[in-house]
Amino acid sequence: MRPFFLQVAAVTLINLKSIPRRFWLSLSTVVAVALVVVVLLSFLAMANGFQHTLTSSGADDVAIILRGGSQAEINSTVSREQVRLVEEGPGIARGPDGKPLASAELYLVVDGLKRSSQTKANLPLRGIGKDGAAVRKGIKIVEGRMFNPGANEIVVGRALLREFQGLEIGQTVGFATSRWTVVGVFEANGSVFESEIWADLPVVQSLFNRNNIFQTVRVRLQSATALEALQRYVEADPRLKLDVKSEAAYFAEQASQTSDLIHKLGWPLSITMALGALAGALNTMYSSVAARAVEIATLRAIGFGGTPAFIGTLVESLLLAGLGGMIGTIATSLVFDGFSASTLGASFTQVVFSFTLSPALIGQAVLLALAVGLAGGLLPAVRAARMPIVAGLSSS
Amino acid sequence: MNDLLLIRKNLFRKKLRAILMLFSILIAFLIFGVLAGFERAFNAGEDVAAADRLMVVNKINFTQPLPIAYVNRVRALPGVRQVTHFNWFGGYYQEPKNFLIVMAVEPESYLQVYQDQIDIAAGARQAFSRERTGVLVGESMLKKWGWKVGDRVPIMSNIFTQKNGSRTWDFTIVGTFVARKPSVDTNFMVLQYEYFNETQNLGRDLIGWMALNTASPSDNDGVAKAIDQMFANSFYETSTDTEKAFNKAFAAQLGNIALIVALVVGAALATILMIVGNTMVMAVRERTREIGVLKTLGFSGGRILRLILGEAVLLALLGGLPGIVLAALFAAAMETSVGNFIPGFAVTPGIALKAILLMLGFGLATGLIPAIAAMRLKIATALGRS
Repeated sequence: MRPFFLQVAAVTLINLKSIPRRFWLSLSTVVAVALVVVVLLSFLAMANGFQHTLTSSGADDVAIILRGGSQAEINSTVSREQVRLVEEGPGIARGPDGKPLASAELYLVVDGLKRSSQTKANLPLRGIGKDGAAVRKGIKIVEGRMFNPGANEIVVGRALLREFQGLEIGQTVGFATSRWTVVGVFEANGSVFESEIWADLPVVQSLFNRNNIFQTVRVRLQSATALEALQRYVEADPRLKLDVKSEAAYFAEQASQTSDLIHKLGWPLSITMALGALAGALNTMYSSVAARAVEIATLRAIGFGGTPAFIGTLVESLLLAGLGGMIGTIATSLVFDGFSASTLGASFTQVVFSFTLSPALIGQAVLLALAVGLAGGLLPAVRAARMPIVAGLSSS
Repeated sequence: MNDLLLIRKNLFRKKLRAILMLFSILIAFLIFGVLAGFERAFNAGEDVAAADRLMVVNKINFTQPLPIAYVNRVRALPGVRQVTHFNWFGGYYQEPKNFLIVMAVEPESYLQVYQDQIDIAAGARQAFSRERTGVLVGESMLKKWGWKVGDRVPIMSNIFTQKNGSRTWDFTIVGTFVARKPSVDTNFMVLQYEYFNETQNLGRDLIGWMALNTASPSDNDGVAKAIDQMFANSFYETSTDTEKAFNKAFAAQLGNIALIVALVVGAALATILMIVGNTMVMAVRERTREIGVLKTLGFSGGRILRLILGEAVLLALLGGLPGIVLAALFAAAMETSVGNFIPGFAVTPGIALKAILLMLGFGLATGLIPAIAAMRLKIATALGRS
């Protein structure tokens, strides 16, 4: 076996050493594959980042209660009576004061100015009660302070601030006849809440003429398994025509719609582009085989087998494609990883998210690159292995 | 032997290589055609918008309501020709995933204001005004769900409930309408505002937004200012904009689609520019001796230049044109399946023309370097090179 491996190694080395002779053509294959990888990875990172933002918003042990069939917070309405009944339900964790940890909230849409396009976009204004921050985990004021109860004050999510202007601390914004002052910036573990504006619930209710109207109730459960008991309780009461979901399930549903759509655009586009790159790779490898016809034939004449020629050509192709995949990955991670963007989410408001690469995504992209290399090398490699010696030697 | 024959012979001298290049060019222009069609459909709202139409929405956000009383006050302003109003119904059919565009409108004024976009038979128009539970369903929505005029359809709302607690409204389809322009989407239904206002349980006498036609586009600014001033400092302040600006801002909410399209198309074209450009250089270099022979036969440098540029342009057109045709076929096939999501998805003559210009530019770009090299080639060097 040893001579066989030596033959393979020798032929492969000759292949690789001859690449500089076809420098520009080889480079074009590398660049073509790299661009395919950039396109694929950008779409995948976009979908992943969006999904990550939404799924990190939902906790298993927080239940969200909406009007039956309303699907999204913006469509829901819940009465004061219903809020009271829900708070009496089983399985709800209690705060230090012994009262159930529940937050009845109002979810309104207001206009904000998007920095990138300078156009108006829908931003969520959430009126939260005193337990609003406590029901959620990881809420942290990072600048300024929380709004004071009863005041026309708002706090804004850090991600929102990145994409929308006019909401910096100290600025005032007008909604209808009321003026509001931005007093703080909060973080929420990069979740969708960071794309929101928060204010005191009773103030929002009165200034938006929604007295005694709520849209959702969020409760902290004693544990994730307590959800079922609460669901049964709500179902049993005819006054509560409400849907009870874990917050995690609620956001996962919303995340899948948009990220599925991005996948459905990104994959076909990348595969189509990969076919174009494949044509380039085939072209390069056939040229490589043609350029080395004399070499290959000479090697065959002195006793080398066809297989080393086959493997040598395939390795050259895989190497070029692999290099392209690597360059594409590095370029994407330099340019797009962490790139901030916002789109309209299922609640009809802007969700700010960052493109997020992951090893699994990079793996998929590199596989696509190698597939181009494999497919692009296979036929030329067969030609190299089967090249008739006499024709090869006379081909100059 | 004329030049065209020479060009063709040269191009297909190595068949496999030519086919591979044609294929990669085809792919690039397929991507260009599909994405350009997608982008155009995405921004169709801007094309559809009438120059003399204004949208009046709540200044806080267009999802916030306005009082119905505003309609008459706007109607009375000078420069306002017709005005109508809408409520978003949040409709779906049977299951939430069967999302429908359903709006409550005032029949007469709605059909007047939007007569530039939709065409409706006189009988249907009258029936819609008369029948309290009647709805008009656009042609493409009828087709999509297999409904016909006369059907009773249960439509559910994810926002409103009836006074009796039911979320379902039973409507009768009293007529249909068709688009007056291909870019108008008819995948929606309208119901009577009066009936809606009486039966739903959330906030009486409120509307979602108004649309109006001005006497002339030159009145737009003045009318918009007058409306917003009239309602300034009230609880319901308004924001008035042209339909075009409103649609544009709405499309921008989804994201910078134009930028994404430009980047992907740019990547696709850059890829084949590299591949084809390099292959052309190589192909011409292989023919050095022949070019020397041609020059010996008296072919001028300019003619050689034209031959090679012609070859590159022919290659681009032979690859690009089928790519655009394929994109058009793809868009036509997709129109029925994704019509709900992106109405008006098509490769228009404008896109095709842009593609052809791109092909010409692409051919010149890939052919220029080898063509100039060949033009400058000295006979002695050419024949001396083995």
